[in-house]
Amino acid sequence: MVFLTLSCWIRNRGPDRFWKVQELLKHHADLLSHFRGRKNRCYKLAVLAVRRAFVYATKSRKLKKRNMRTLWITRIAAATREHNMKYPILMHNLNKCSVQLNRRVISDIAITEPRTFLSLAKLARARQQEGFRAALGDGKEPSGVLSRVMLQ
Amino acid sequence: MSVSTRFGYLQSLRGFAALWRTNGVRVPLHPLLSLCAARTQSSVSGDLLPRTSLSSPPWSEQTSFVSAEEERSRHAAVVSTVNDRIERQDFGRLFAVVHFAARQWKVTNEDLILVENHIEAECGDRIYLEKVLLVGAEDFTLVGRPLLGKELVRVKATVIEKTESCPKIHMVFWKRHRFQKKRTIVQPQTVLRINSIELYPRLS
Repeated sequence: MVFLTLSCWIRNRGPDRFWKVQELLKHHADLLSHFRGRKNRCYKLAVLAVRRAFVYATKSRKLKKRNMRTLWITRIAAATREHNMKYPILMHNLNKCSVQLNRRVISDIAITEPRTFLSLAKLARARQQEGFRAALGDGKEPSGVLSRVMLQ
Repeated sequence: MSVSTRFGYLQSLRGFAALWRTNGVRVPLHPLLSLCAARTQSSVSGDLLPRTSLSSPPWSEQTSFVSAEEERSRHAAVVSTVNDRIERQDFGRLFAVVHFAARQWKVTNEDLILVENHIEAECGDRIYLEKVLLVGAEDFTLVGRPLLGKELVRVKATVIEKTESCPKIHMVFWKRHRFQKKRTIVQPQTVLRINSIELYPRLS
């Protein structure tokens, strides 16, 4: 080290450090106010915490879609079991009847419109019985009667 | 298709028939069951088979056969009652399931819908939502396969506001690799208010 006088010890760092620190702390104050400990006050810790928070937010935007779908499926399964049926049977038969309601809407209907959900369950059950009759009945009973009348 | 799935059950069906015969219970005689029963009449009437997971087929054998005419009359009765209700406009509040902007919405009157994209309509425009999947009232529901006709239902909506979403932050960070990217995403949004849902006799 070649600093021979006091004035040469002083390093002239960047001029904007203070403003950068304040920018992060003030700009993300609404985010930081929910953090625990020194992460919500001190710049070094806050930078890392904010970065983690943003990364978690981006990843969970994809996870949310998956979680919501499993939640809907659980709710629909519970509602169908109240009507003595199972979830895969309901969905398979509704697909066969070409009723293209998605799981979110069916779960909403199961919660707020019980009678409509009961009608959907009965439709699925009738389509299932029709399928059994077509498979086991050896063609003696006329299959497809139900669906033809229902189409009117 | 049906032959291969029934192969495993032939053995059990013979015993099944034997079980039902010894118990003397009346069974709606399935044609296949009757064939098996005819075949086993010569052999010694079998012992009761132990009930296992494969001793009876997984479908219930209780499909009660209703004749075609009776089915048709029942369906006609249901359809006529629903039509009477619709003509008298007897229902209270209707709800509908509408397919709009790649999503399905369960919708009633005076509902607000937030759609996360741009719509080619100005604020204050009245819109018909045409892809209706289901309409329900208190006592009846009309289920479309997959859609209901435009002559049957009409859903009216108004575009209320067109804004942008709050800035969402998309950030990627790999530790120990000096890799970090940050981007703010702002998406256009539209707010619709559902004015009314109408069923057919009153459609203008």
